[in-house]
Amino acid sequence: MADFLVPKNQSLVLERFDYRLTYGKTGRAKYISHLDLMRTMQRVFKRAKIPIWYTQGFNPHAYLNFPLALSLGTDSTVEVLDVALLEEHDSDEIMTRLNACMPEGLHIYKVAKPVLKHTEIAQAEYTIKFNSNTSADEAKTRFEHFAGRDKIEIEKRTKKKGINIVDIKPHINLVSATASDNMTVIDIILPAGCQFNLNTSLVMDAFCKLESVEIDNIYTTRTKIMCKNGEDFI
Amino acid sequence: MREKIEQLLLKTQKPSRYIGGEHGSIIKDKSKIDVRFAFCFPDVYDVGMSHLGMKILYGLKNSVENYWCERVFMPEKDFEKLMRENDIPLYALESLDPLTEFDFIGFTLQYELSYTNVLAMLDLAGIPVRAKDRHDLTPIVMGGGPCACNPEPLADFFDLFILGEGEEVNLEVLSLYEKMKPNNPTKQEFLREAAKIEGVYVPAFYDVDYNTDGTVKAITPNIDSAPAKVKKRIIKDFDKVYYPDGFVVPFTSIVHDRAVVEVLRGCIRGCRFCQAGFIYRPFREKNIDTIKAETKCICEQTGYEEVSLSSLSTSDYTRINDLLESLVEYTDDERINLSLPSLRVDNFSEELLEKIKSVRKSGLTFAPEAGTQKLRNVINKNVTEDEIMHTCKMAFEGGYANVKLYFMLGLPEETMEDIEGIAKLAQDVVDLYYETPKEKRGRGIQVSISTATFVPKPFTPFEFEPQATSNEIKAKQQHLFESITSKKIKCSCHQQNVSILEAVLARGDRRLCDAIYTAWKKGCTLDGWDEHFRYDLWLEAFDECGVDISFYANRRRSYDEVLPWSHLDYLVSHEFLVRENKKAHNAETTRNCKEGCSGCGVKKECGGVYCG
Repeated sequence: MADFLVPKNQSLVLERFDYRLTYGKTGRAKYISHLDLMRTMQRVFKRAKIPIWYTQGFNPHAYLNFPLALSLGTDSTVEVLDVALLEEHDSDEIMTRLNACMPEGLHIYKVAKPVLKHTEIAQAEYTIKFNSNTSADEAKTRFEHFAGRDKIEIEKRTKKKGINIVDIKPHINLVSATASDNMTVIDIILPAGCQFNLNTSLVMDAFCKLESVEIDNIYTTRTKIMCKNGEDFI
Repeated sequence: MREKIEQLLLKTQKPSRYIGGEHGSIIKDKSKIDVRFAFCFPDVYDVGMSHLGMKILYGLKNSVENYWCERVFMPEKDFEKLMRENDIPLYALESLDPLTEFDFIGFTLQYELSYTNVLAMLDLAGIPVRAKDRHDLTPIVMGGGPCACNPEPLADFFDLFILGEGEEVNLEVLSLYEKMKPNNPTKQEFLREAAKIEGVYVPAFYDVDYNTDGTVKAITPNIDSAPAKVKKRIIKDFDKVYYPDGFVVPFTSIVHDRAVVEVLRGCIRGCRFCQAGFIYRPFREKNIDTIKAETKCICEQTGYEEVSLSSLSTSDYTRINDLLESLVEYTDDERINLSLPSLRVDNFSEELLEKIKSVRKSGLTFAPEAGTQKLRNVINKNVTEDEIMHTCKMAFEGGYANVKLYFMLGLPEETMEDIEGIAKLAQDVVDLYYETPKEKRGRGIQVSISTATFVPKPFTPFEFEPQATSNEIKAKQQHLFESITSKKIKCSCHQQNVSILEAVLARGDRRLCDAIYTAWKKGCTLDGWDEHFRYDLWLEAFDECGVDISFYANRRRSYDEVLPWSHLDYLVSHEFLVRENKKAHNAETTRNCKEGCSGCGVKKECGGVYCG
């Protein structure tokens, strides 16, 4: 019984077929955390009977990679999921079969072979709509003022050093600020990816603090994932 | 409403628990629905979503086209606070509609410590917690599950209880309602009809009289349609019983996050402390083909990579080896892990171990429950030391090095010698490890002893027994710690106050309703969670309501005392329980159902495999 602890299915499978999926995470699904999304997607593949390739180490796990995490509560239809499969499939077929097994709010829009490396992701564009304790117009003006400051210093928690003061001003690229239907609408580009990532909530917290605004309702949507040169990643 | 909920979600932990939308959750068109049922699990999502009974009854009710059953859980304290601050009433996860819009609100009562959550959930929904304050026909508040075998401490809060297995009677109650609804009956009129259904208990239709010493004098129906004794429901043809063809698959990880298939119901063993062993009688099984088909169906629909066989004792399945062979054929192909949570020491064969060996395991868990053979005979846990040692030997040779041993303290007839027996048994297991050849055994032996305080429960042979007092238990815990000499043995004891409260509630009567209400008003909810359990507030509540804890927990009942649940019939006869109680005090064992019928009172017609 010495083979007791050896996991089964250990024959090496080196051949893998890589795909890049563009998916949306909206509605109720936007409250699925990043970690839970991993598990959720794995089960979607299982239900769709599309076997995922497993990593071939001591602790094999399904190869699924989300190159850019999406904050909890943010809507998006431009998310990226890289996956390695055991068999080659037609892209449309993968899409149809997965979509038939998706929970509400998750949807695949595109399946293709990956072209760019996922490390190319450098920035992302967001639309942030909100109501606050001031009028939509006033909030818009204040946001413009906020984005025009010389310095925007925030406290950022790091793993090692504790709390760091960081100036995020150079990273904020305000595309537009408008007011409509009693809501302020901000279009903004922020750094994203494995090098440096700036969360919309950090920006909005800094805005509220510096401009003395209190937000009631907020709706954030990621609208684009881009490379360094501004080119669309997908 | 949805807007309001969504804005709060980001302020809470694990928000996906509060918004629904999981794969397998059932959405129906409200305009085509005649009966809406809110299935409430009175604990947090993570616990409730793990519960098999809810999955079964959810699927069952939704299998009827014009019924819509939705799920409701108790929010964590942080979200409850947010809901109250923002005037969001408790809502169901599918439609996000408040509970007030439902025809039925059904609670499953799995453990006593969830009782205050029932009140909290009703109140959070804006529904009066006491049945007498709910004048309209709907919502009708009903309860079921194991604790419904003595629902008296909750009698004030419920309109009706369902006794026994729910697969048939739930639909009967709903269909009665569907039929009566067009005539706009009063609640009273509906309940009067419902009480005629076997297994339905309407507490308001019974009067309870008490003796001067505080014991119950008599429980009598106060209307004609209520039977003198309400009989629990039972599924006679268990192989044909409804089983869902899909589960709701949660996003967030929950306690039991896997596919589950029920293989048998009831237990042949008759351990005298175990309520489940008596109230779920008789022992019935599903056929191998049925189990296999249900396994395949659930795995395919959920996408789970692990399936677990559910029962009170899986190794008692008559053709367990054939069953596993047949299942492994499928699970191996699909790379699904098969887990068997409820195995018994005495029939844990090498062959069985071999079958599940591919599942990665960290340790083995045994529940000898008592430290000496004499005491194991008292409780009728017919496991011998040899069997435990034999299994441990196999396990050690198989590379296991972690053994967990579960015991109870405060059992009837227990002496300090029995406590020492616990330490000795653990020591023997440690010694056995060192006798195992080095090249075979795993590294780093660890034996963990876990003890809980015995809680006497209704419908068991120990329903007459007093619970050991707090001081007795303290002394026994102390003695156990002193008896352990090896550093390889770890010992932990379950919080005692919890067991005292369980003992009071488990065998309580209607006079506890006010105490539960008061405790909840003082802020007791989520009592099952150590971080929320406030024994001090419970004591205050008992004190204010004039409840003497020792009357309920530490008092021996005579065999002829009218017990608060004596108007409820769980098929196991009073005579049998008395007989078993007497045998326990003589340390005599009773054979299991497979070895021969011991005449517990459950009739052959109930479909039991071994009933004679």
